[in-house]
Amino acid sequence: MTQPPLPKAPDPPIDPGERPPPPQPPPELPWYERLNVLNVTLLLFLLAVVFSAPGVRGSGRPINYWESFSRFAGGFFPPDFSITGETLLALVETFQIAVMATAFAIVFSFPLAVMGAQNISPRWVVGISRMTMNAIRTIPSLIWALIAVAIVGANPLAGVIALTFYSMGYLGKFFSEAFESVDVEIARGLRAIGAGAVQAFQHGLWPHAKPLIWSYSLWMLEYNIRSAAIIGYVGAGGVGVQLYQYQEYYDWQKFATVLLFILAVVTVLDLLGEWVRSRITRKLRKPLAG
Amino acid sequence: MPSSSPGLESPPPAAAGRQKCCAGHPAQPAEEDNPHHLTVTDLGLKRGDRWLFRHMTWQVPRGKLIAVVGPSGVGKSSLLGCLAGMIPQTEGKVVYCCCHHCLHPPHAFQNRIGIIFQNYMLVPNNSVLNNVLCGRLGRYAWWQTLFGFRRRDRHDAIRILQDLGLGRYLHRWVSETSGGEQQRTAIARALLQEPEIFLADEPVSNLDTYLTGRVLGILRQQALHHRRTILCVLHNPDLVHRFADYVLSLDPMNPEGWHIRQVGRPPSAA
Repeated sequence: MTQPPLPKAPDPPIDPGERPPPPQPPPELPWYERLNVLNVTLLLFLLAVVFSAPGVRGSGRPINYWESFSRFAGGFFPPDFSITGETLLALVETFQIAVMATAFAIVFSFPLAVMGAQNISPRWVVGISRMTMNAIRTIPSLIWALIAVAIVGANPLAGVIALTFYSMGYLGKFFSEAFESVDVEIARGLRAIGAGAVQAFQHGLWPHAKPLIWSYSLWMLEYNIRSAAIIGYVGAGGVGVQLYQYQEYYDWQKFATVLLFILAVVTVLDLLGEWVRSRITRKLRKPLAG
Repeated sequence: MPSSSPGLESPPPAAAGRQKCCAGHPAQPAEEDNPHHLTVTDLGLKRGDRWLFRHMTWQVPRGKLIAVVGPSGVGKSSLLGCLAGMIPQTEGKVVYCCCHHCLHPPHAFQNRIGIIFQNYMLVPNNSVLNNVLCGRLGRYAWWQTLFGFRRRDRHDAIRILQDLGLGRYLHRWVSETSGGEQQRTAIARALLQEPEIFLADEPVSNLDTYLTGRVLGILRQQALHHRRTILCVLHNPDLVHRFADYVLSLDPMNPEGWHIRQVGRPPSAA
């Protein structure tokens, strides 16, 4: 059995004398007050696009782009798998170069990162460290490889040296940001109960920064494996040397085989790295109660 | 406490090892006759253009539990921060007297001050056990704890955690524990430190009635049996009367209106 509806309360009488005034439209901001950083950046980017558009130009000769592409891509098929053995060996060497370079970069970039973290180091030390890291980052990996080949010759050691320097610039920056994202109050609290500076860092800062540091390191390893495949073009070892040789001899079928192997390795590493990184950083998202 | 407060304990035995542990710090003028553990003289703290407290002068004898009371925002935590040397005072001074009768400013006494922070100051992505072990960091040189703590320290930490009902959570991350468990972890860290003075900022705010009694009972034992001094911010008058020896009240309307009294006795003028 349903309950009868409750009687509706009568609406309160409206006194025409107390009618609220009609809402005023919000005041319009003058144009210069609407220019925040985002708007200005967007405007500058649009101007840059307009400025750069004339730069998109071809040779001016009548070339059938589609025909050129079909002819070039057609040379890749079918891939020549007769070089599988040597490609796998070269891939192993590429992997070794990337792993060693990442390991060295982690070690060398760690002090740079600590010095570059604003919440840990004094301002002048931060300035010096950041300038160093910026300078290292400015030079592309291929140029580092050219420098290293000039110094130690065309061998895998050159690759390790090149990628170590290249990675240091990035890892130093990422590690600095990881340290800066940590609440230093915990470390200060440990200092207040008698811990030394190194102890406060090790027990107050490091546990919090550690998952991010490992996550960035893993990302750098993935990146270095891709880079190690390229720096072989200038003789710094790895699968890039093979790529260079096949390109020089227009042996596109073998070239395609090497590319396929690189694609497979990088895809597997990407998936694996993504999974490990998500496992590492998952617990970080839980806030502290209290 | 005013110097005339009755019931003060006799001073600890004369310091045979003063030069060993307190080299570089001046000897207290009153020598071994002065039993005060902490002396606050004309202490004042200003935040912006507002004084939180001013002209605060009192002395704490060893082995007493002093409840710091007052409404929220009055400056209780800031007072503890001043006493710990974490917040520089605007005027006045804070002096600790160690068991060897030497005077120390707060920054030179830090590894003998155990702090239970209001917001715990725990590392969320580290285990409960490791957080507690941090209480022992002040005992070691930096290189001695690079690869972990000694087995004896781990045993002590586990015993304290079991006493506080956290034996099941030793290896759990702090971020995976409840607020009350985190608070007990912070208390365990201070207990493992075995400091001379505890500065506890609302140490039972997240605990149920049983655990509140247990924790304050443990702190009281520390005062009675180990002659450690405890300054504890409390809000519950029943707990103050049950566990505290002295009450230090701060007045939100008048920074000079603080007063200190023995529990159960009429208040003495500041």
